[in-house]
Amino acid sequence: MAAAPASVTEQSSADLDNERLLDTSVLSELAKKDLVDALNSVNGAKTLVLDPSIAGPLGLVTEVSLLKQHGVDKMFWLEPGPLSAPTTNIVYLCRPLIKHIKIIADQVKRHAKESAKHTYTLLLVPRTSILVTRILEEEGVLGEVNVSSYNLQFIPLAQDVVSLEYDNAFREIWVDGDETAIYNSAQALLTLRKIYGPFPRILGKGDHAARLATLLNRSLLPPSSVSPHASAANTEKIDSLIILDRRTDMITPLLTQLTYEGLIDEMLGIKNSHVEVPASLLAPPNPPANPNASSTSASTSGLQAVPLSKEKKKKHHLTTANDPLLAELRDLNFASVGKKLNRIAHRLDEDYKARLQAKTVAQLRDFVGKLGGLQTEHQSLRLHTGLSELIVPQTRTEIFNKSLEIQQNLLASYNVNDQVSAIEDLIAQGADMQLVIRLLCLASITAGGIRTKTLDNIKREILQSYGYNFLPLLLSLSAPPLAVLLPNPLPASTTPSVVASKYPYTSLRKSLRLLMEDTDALDEVENDIGYVYSGYAPISIRLVQCVAQKGGVLSNPALDKEKPADAGSANGKSTSKVQAHPIVGWKGFEDVLATMPGETFDITPKDYVGDDSASTLCKSRDMHYFHSSCSWMVLVQGRDRTTTTVVFFLGGCTYTEIAALRWVGRQNKGRNFLIATTGIISGNSLVDSVAGIGRGSTNSRDAGI
Amino acid sequence: MPDHPTASWQAMQDANVFYRRQQIYSIPGKLPNLDDYKVAACRYGGPLALMRDNDKLVALGRATPVFAKAQIQVFSPAGEGLLIFSWEQARIVRFGWTGDERLVVLNEEGVYRIYDLQGEYEQYSLGSEVAEIGVEDAKIHDNGLVALTNSLTFLEVRGWSGGKPVTLANPGLSQPPSSWTIIPPELTISRHVEVLLSVESTIYTVDNLENTDQRISRGPFTHMASSPNGKSLALLTFAGLLLVVSADFQRNLAEFDTTNVPGAEGSVRQVEWCGNDAILVTWDNLALMVGPFGDTLQFFYSGPTFAVTEVDGVRVVGPDVCDFIQKVPASTVSVFRPGSTSPSAILYDAWENFAKRSPKADESIRSIRPELGRAVDECIDAAGQEWEPYWQRRLLNAAKFGRSFLDLYDPTDFINMGQSLKVLNAVRDYQIGIPITYTQYIHASPAQLVSRLTARNLHLLALRISTYLSLKPDPVLKHWACAKILRSKPSATGSGKNAELTGDSEVCRMIVDKFEKLGGGGVSYADIAKKAWEVGRTSLATKLLDYEPRASDQVPLLLSMKEDRLALAKAVDSGDPDLVYHVLLHLQKSMSLGSFFRLLEDGGEQLAPATRLLQVYAREQNRDMLRDFYYSDDRRVESAVLLLEEASNMTDPTAKINTVKAAQKFFSEDKERGFEAKMMDESVRLLTAQQQLEKDADGKIPFFGLSVNETIRTCLLNGMSKKADKIKSDFKVPDKRFWYIKLYALTAMRDFEGLDAFAKSKRSPIGYEAFVRHLVEKGHQKEAAGYVARCDASKRVDLYVQCGEWRMAGKECKDRGDKAKLDQLRRTCPNSLIARELEQIATSMK
Repeated sequence: MAAAPASVTEQSSADLDNERLLDTSVLSELAKKDLVDALNSVNGAKTLVLDPSIAGPLGLVTEVSLLKQHGVDKMFWLEPGPLSAPTTNIVYLCRPLIKHIKIIADQVKRHAKESAKHTYTLLLVPRTSILVTRILEEEGVLGEVNVSSYNLQFIPLAQDVVSLEYDNAFREIWVDGDETAIYNSAQALLTLRKIYGPFPRILGKGDHAARLATLLNRSLLPPSSVSPHASAANTEKIDSLIILDRRTDMITPLLTQLTYEGLIDEMLGIKNSHVEVPASLLAPPNPPANPNASSTSASTSGLQAVPLSKEKKKKHHLTTANDPLLAELRDLNFASVGKKLNRIAHRLDEDYKARLQAKTVAQLRDFVGKLGGLQTEHQSLRLHTGLSELIVPQTRTEIFNKSLEIQQNLLASYNVNDQVSAIEDLIAQGADMQLVIRLLCLASITAGGIRTKTLDNIKREILQSYGYNFLPLLLSLSAPPLAVLLPNPLPASTTPSVVASKYPYTSLRKSLRLLMEDTDALDEVENDIGYVYSGYAPISIRLVQCVAQKGGVLSNPALDKEKPADAGSANGKSTSKVQAHPIVGWKGFEDVLATMPGETFDITPKDYVGDDSASTLCKSRDMHYFHSSCSWMVLVQGRDRTTTTVVFFLGGCTYTEIAALRWVGRQNKGRNFLIATTGIISGNSLVDSVAGIGRGSTNSRDAGI
Repeated sequence: MPDHPTASWQAMQDANVFYRRQQIYSIPGKLPNLDDYKVAACRYGGPLALMRDNDKLVALGRATPVFAKAQIQVFSPAGEGLLIFSWEQARIVRFGWTGDERLVVLNEEGVYRIYDLQGEYEQYSLGSEVAEIGVEDAKIHDNGLVALTNSLTFLEVRGWSGGKPVTLANPGLSQPPSSWTIIPPELTISRHVEVLLSVESTIYTVDNLENTDQRISRGPFTHMASSPNGKSLALLTFAGLLLVVSADFQRNLAEFDTTNVPGAEGSVRQVEWCGNDAILVTWDNLALMVGPFGDTLQFFYSGPTFAVTEVDGVRVVGPDVCDFIQKVPASTVSVFRPGSTSPSAILYDAWENFAKRSPKADESIRSIRPELGRAVDECIDAAGQEWEPYWQRRLLNAAKFGRSFLDLYDPTDFINMGQSLKVLNAVRDYQIGIPITYTQYIHASPAQLVSRLTARNLHLLALRISTYLSLKPDPVLKHWACAKILRSKPSATGSGKNAELTGDSEVCRMIVDKFEKLGGGGVSYADIAKKAWEVGRTSLATKLLDYEPRASDQVPLLLSMKEDRLALAKAVDSGDPDLVYHVLLHLQKSMSLGSFFRLLEDGGEQLAPATRLLQVYAREQNRDMLRDFYYSDDRRVESAVLLLEEASNMTDPTAKINTVKAAQKFFSEDKERGFEAKMMDESVRLLTAQQQLEKDADGKIPFFGLSVNETIRTCLLNGMSKKADKIKSDFKVPDKRFWYIKLYALTAMRDFEGLDAFAKSKRSPIGYEAFVRHLVEKGHQKEAAGYVARCDASKRVDLYVQCGEWRMAGKECKDRGDKAKLDQLRRTCPNSLIARELEQIATSMK
């Protein structure tokens, strides 16, 4: 395994960088504290009625026991129908959606009719809204309910990923035109700023991203003159904020994700970092009776694979906290996951065997000390082998492979008409509606539209196969501001905004080096960020590279390293990573960005005091000594100071994008990425949310037209 | 030289503890006879509010004003009149002060007003129910009030922003308690207010959850008072026995009989705490201090008094004086106690010697060298406790003197104390009249002091103090601007309309100049503009509003100024959807629907986000309005989609069909939407056909609402293949798709004969590979093998392998002469039996 040593050094240096990562656990502590405060504002035992869409995110920051400690007696889902609460206090926790409020109003009225005496507290996430008050008023129960808020913002999903966990941000912004998500994102980013210090620079792409940046910039106050010292210390942490809106790169989420975590999301679905897995995979392992058993563990669990899929499902929290292997596996291309698992199994086996070599009591004691770690690893290995076994059959189906082929061809703009008719075949074969819509939109974006007649035909096929109730979905996809499913040529009456939003894919493919030519080495070396889609580099991440790793866009930094000759590093230290260049805006890529639809921006916020604050500091007499020593430290640290670039995806990002961004982070030293997003999406969840599937449990899905 | 500090001391408890009575102001004749009035005083050296006590007879004299109307007077502790206003509403049951020095007046109808010191007020009510029942009594604390209604239940109001009253647990009283008090929420363990009721011989504790009988058997009590830290209670029985118990009633702390105090005449006026450790009981001419161990001190006054508990003592307002009685602070005792040998006393002595140029100074300093740091700190602290600047200065000088003998000393405390004392001395002046002690000042925060000064319109002093303490001057400036607007008259120069404009712009310029020169950036012009608008100066308000950077502050005012369009535009611009809703819902209520829509349409691109938000709202809550809106705006597609959404929720077939038809009509009116119209037409046809199908199947099979594919499939599954064919031709379903549906359906039914017949009916448009693959996938490998022969020759081997027919695969290889493939098969085959067979085939090939 040639790449093994290289990846090992990468791993260890990544650990070094981890020390300088921003501590995201602060955010979950904050969320926990706010929740406790909100609960304690109601005296005595209470019944908690929970909006199901909040439950997932809430599960990431707190446990049921914490709620119980703070007086929660019983918990119910917020759903239509009567509510019989054992306690006087009823606390509703929900997002300020009209349908939720109507349910609550209904329950309050019901109680009044039954003359049950309750006090109601409504905690709205993330803040109260006039709309809610109005609706309560219209329903005639405003006087009964105390309206308050619980400000749940960024939730850490991993050390370097924080998410708002809004399920419907994309739909709200680009279909309904409801900018609530943008406003809430701005508020959440302000909280980040409060914790980690100001953003010296805000860059981004996309009309809605620009809107977010304007909101952010406007709500920043000029620096308070009280503590210039504290802010100066904080500026070290974050070097910039990059905001990308989802409309800027619609291609990436439409493609099938091919990393381990991405595929789990595509196939099994990950919701709020939780995946449903067969219960037996989660049972603690029995340490092997003899060392031979462990070496066959991979194959034994393989035998179980068939019944696995039918077994009772259990929710499992996918996190590196309790799963030592996840960090190694999650960002791998699925093709190499098998080998990796195999290698880990061998290593584990070796470790278990160490027991046999233990001769002295001391050695034995060492082994026993390691045993706990080994068992967790063993357990985690079992889980991942099981998950892989679940996924593999699905990757072997004809429809899956056909869809991959269509994707690759479309990306290469190869024979578009054939691809469209291949999509038509998929419809005939009864492929999932989501898959068909994804491929169709992909075709439309990459080819700049589909011939009107073909398009009408294929739309008709879709409506007939999946139901006429999908007509609104098709309309939403082709209407501005989304406009991802367009006829070619555009009808004369199209609004100019649609014409402007046409995507110059073919030219981008060249200028941003989206397709990898040599995909041979793909299995072993994570060659370029393109490895996450087996050869296609996500545009969104390329845009981040345009700011944070300019060289990476033009050529592959990983390959460059292997050619020490031209790099000029004749001393053979080819493994040392390049120091990340400072943020200088979009420089060098202005033209490329101009061709893309949506606004490009690069703002230095008015609240950021640059270096001149330091010079004013110098003038104050008392600080004299301190300052001179301080500037000396800056000089020394300057070279290997590590800063964090915050990347915010407005409208959600995929697991593959996270993987790709981590790869970019590993290529340079001196720069970490903190990935912030409104939520984790996949192509399917995107289509579903545009279609309005899963929005309301009240609307029965099968009641088609 | 003022009296020595110890002059006002009185010893208690075997001369170990000292209490001091300091006269703060001399106010002879400034206040009326307190006996005729109800009095409420504000903590932290705040003012007194007086109202004529209607239960008492008053001799009409020259000096007495006419009592035709209820009137409330507010005096500063120095006896200066701050405010006087009359009360027209129903009888006042109680008045008291909020934490930020505003006067709350509650009447028997449950209406309460909160007055600031300028006489401006906000009015709230406890609700219509309370108005009917009536309020019996109330207790007012810093951040809320508890009212006792005539039906003997308790209501709590939290905060002073007009929040809805919360009903506390019902104690089930049959008559009003003989006395009651509250412990404010910030002092209780639960952080919720606690009400203590003296009922018969016991005390009930009531909070919003429960009512607890504390089983005290010594009541009833005439007076109850909780200590400033909420930890102890002072109770006075009818028999005149003073009890001190802990707030949880677990411990009896002290007992004292007040009946045979010499000089006490008449009934007890007040029982108040002096700090946290002594209690002041007052009669008409006497104030009796009861210490923790039952020791007493007597203070005589020339007439009725009023005592106010402070955190560190008690303030007593008598007919001639305003006194402050407190336990002498430890640091002061340490420095000034006669015969004290504490380091601080020696330091002070050393400094005095030094000032007298006596060599004893050096000797003294030397003797306390190791404890000098503490001595300095103590002197600084003692300076803070002194009222007279003379002694403050002397103590600070002593501290400074001691400091110079220390190698390393952090001067922060010294500087802060100096600054604080300067501020305190300024506000203690009788013209300002805020007799606040250093402890109270630290307790209440400097910013609060500044806001109290601004509330008295003392802007210059407030501004100077906030600059001196480097606090933000914005609150002061804001208050000043509001006052400025109130005072300035629009007609500055010139005449008529023109003059008003110039006057306005001048005031506006003045205000903005001041803010830009002095302000810290956190100005809220909107609040000032609101003030201007309230006093009817609309143009000034508009001018000021232009300077407001925060839309959330601008918009509500613009709305009340009827600047609808501007308000909406600003709200949209702010990006805060909640604000947009605020405007939208307000406008929708106040305007006719037509003009509301016109406003949105005329707004064009700028107001588009508002339009979209309205749609989001209306889709859930007000569909009729949305329908009207789309209709008036000729949005046919949206109208149609709206109908489709509704249709998808309908269960009644006829209604559903009609709705889809209506949607179809909307589409057909838009010539761009020919495709959609056609599709909806199909949809209607399908629904009708499905109705027919259900009828044919006697309603046993549900068809209605299925897609075309599902309809065909359901037909096939139920043996209605003719019908399936008809649907296929009616809806022009392509062969390919139809074949897949049929393949899947027949496989699902395990109708392999039917499948065979179907496969042979004509050449398959989807090939036969699909047959094989699907059958294999569903586990029918044997059946699948039958179709392999019809597939492309090149794929047959692999397909056979998939079917598990290794022998056939081998034969196929042989037929095609593909030896390499055969070898590969041999390598991958699952068992030796097959391997041997393949071996045979291989040998037969040669």
